[in-house]
Amino acid sequence: MKIPNRIAAAALAACLAFLASPQSTAAADDPLRVAVTLSDLGCAARAVGGPDVEVTVLCPGGMDPHYLPAKPSLSRKLAQADALLFNGLELEIGWLPPLLEKARNPRVRAGAPGMIDCSAALDNVLDVPSGAVDRGLGDIHPQGNPHYTVDPRRMIAVVQLVGRRFGELDPPHAAAYRDRAEAYAAQLRERLPVWRERTAALRHRHVLLNHQHWNYLCDWLGLDAIGEIEHRPGIAASPRHVQDMVEKSRALGDVVIVAASWDHLDVVREIAGRANASLAVLPGHAGAEPGTDDYLAFLDVVTQRLADAAAAPGKE
Amino acid sequence: MNIRIPAAVFAASAILAPGGAAAAAEPAASASTVTGISSLMNPAISVNALFLGETSADDDGHDANRIGLQEAEMQLTSVVDPFWTADLVVAYHQEIGHDHGEQEADAHGEAAFATDIEVARIRARGLPAGLGLVLGKDYLPFGKHVPLHTHQFAFVRAPVAVRSFLGGHGLAEVGARAEATVPLPWYSEFAAYAVNGDAGIFDAHDRDLAWGARWTQTWDVATTATLELGGSLLQGPGAHHEDEPAGGLGVYGVDLTYKWISGARSHGPAVVWTSELILPDPEHAEGDPLGWYSHLQARVHRNWWAGFGVGQAADVTGHVDVGGEEVETLATWNEYRANLTFAPSEYSALRAEISQLDEDGGDADDLRFSLQWNFTIGSHPAHLY
Repeated sequence: MKIPNRIAAAALAACLAFLASPQSTAAADDPLRVAVTLSDLGCAARAVGGPDVEVTVLCPGGMDPHYLPAKPSLSRKLAQADALLFNGLELEIGWLPPLLEKARNPRVRAGAPGMIDCSAALDNVLDVPSGAVDRGLGDIHPQGNPHYTVDPRRMIAVVQLVGRRFGELDPPHAAAYRDRAEAYAAQLRERLPVWRERTAALRHRHVLLNHQHWNYLCDWLGLDAIGEIEHRPGIAASPRHVQDMVEKSRALGDVVIVAASWDHLDVVREIAGRANASLAVLPGHAGAEPGTDDYLAFLDVVTQRLADAAAAPGKE
Repeated sequence: MNIRIPAAVFAASAILAPGGAAAAAEPAASASTVTGISSLMNPAISVNALFLGETSADDDGHDANRIGLQEAEMQLTSVVDPFWTADLVVAYHQEIGHDHGEQEADAHGEAAFATDIEVARIRARGLPAGLGLVLGKDYLPFGKHVPLHTHQFAFVRAPVAVRSFLGGHGLAEVGARAEATVPLPWYSEFAAYAVNGDAGIFDAHDRDLAWGARWTQTWDVATTATLELGGSLLQGPGAHHEDEPAGGLGVYGVDLTYKWISGARSHGPAVVWTSELILPDPEHAEGDPLGWYSHLQARVHRNWWAGFGVGQAADVTGHVDVGGEEVETLATWNEYRANLTFAPSEYSALRAEISQLDEDGGDADDLRFSLQWNFTIGSHPAHLY
């Protein structure tokens, strides 16, 4: 069967014309539709936006944000968004570009006002590589460590940035965004001493991280990080490296190992067992576990679990 | 071609001139104003190379018992201007024949290679109403396998059904493609295209354009699992054999893909199951050509993937030499494959594969063991889902 070319061309053109017709138009008083890559940033967007925004989180809190599958349904969410809040520093480079390509939404593409790179709020990015940068160093991020959302001090700066940017996108509610951002920042500031006090015992211990996910946490809490179990970022530890970490932990004698719930815990547990080190398995982001949906609750769980690990040597 | 000789000469003289060292100390941004040389706007560049070692129990030919380059591919991607993004892919690869996609050999029996511009396209940025537009040379969106680059294949080669009916090295054609998201409660995308029709399956002398369309539906069946159903059609002037008149060629396809990945663990268990049915419908068909394959890939450990595949290409038109005269034949080919892949990072992989290709009721068969390794360097864009 051969369909005549003219009929086929007319049918296809009609299909595309129908599909290209406007399918939804946001009314002026509709909430701002905000897509957010990470759940921590989602908490900030909800706190700042209140009833004036509708927030959709792309990466669930329990998933490693390096490796989110770029499901087409996520493109659909991006296609409907007025703004996109993303972590930046190339954390989402493996999945956000193809999602944005398929979303075909001019409101959320590079350079558009709706694109809010939250890393722009940082005045001090950790682990910016110096010297030659290549993949021999593992899956490094050339612009620096992107896992800043686990540090509430830096999240205060992010919250303030979000308040300003929401106000620019939605001027009639600018004052409300600013007020809510300040209120949320105040809540975070109020909890900072509580969280630091809770983890005071850990400042007399050494901390071994599975991945550089927790470097900002160490920076905030003043913890002494002695290295990572991953041989290089994103690269599984070699048997030799595992042995080195065991010997180093044994020699120091007071090590607490910190890992995220999505990490390969078999190697982590092996090192903890052989070195008789404490192990704290933490939710990686807000929402990773029941009871951590809110960012403050997430940090409550993180700091409590660290405190428990510091108080119970050789236990998980 | 617009070669800016005055600028280049000026740049060279600026470097060679006395005082060049002082100029080099200036900030790069201001230096490029006077030298005309800047790397700031360079495209993202990546290179992927695939090497293949093979041995066949049933084929004495050199192409089946060799170690060599399978393909090297260079990709350049950049934003052109506020309106377009461009991709260029240049590949140096083994030539693939038409009869069930076997590799071709040169006059000395060695594997023959070809250099192709596989992709040279611009993609529109920010068209209204969610429309997408692609102009230039690109892989046609027919089914799940045709749009893949060789280093994305689940097995060493394309399935026998794809090699037999759509060509062994994808269908890359020059033309235009429009895409749009269909307003349905799930993700649904429609694409339609018109292309020149230069691939081996088309008549090289017919001036009619080839055209086609693809419609995909994707449902989230769980937080980290999706089911995709696609339908494809392709129409064009069919390649003619010897003295036979050229007729129209229609090819229809249906594909189903299930993907699941563990959401709880980074690099945790994952499953990809893809099946595709290809129905060629040439105007002057011999027999009832039909092809299908089903591939299952599973991540069995952090860096290890196992793959299993079966497939068939039925009533494939081929030619045999009978008494010095070429005679057209029909054959049905069955294919069975299994492999194990070790991927220590996203940028390199080593694969061991065993495959069996045999002819229904015929003498021809090929049991083959392959070892393939590949690496990617540079800034390679993330693949689509």
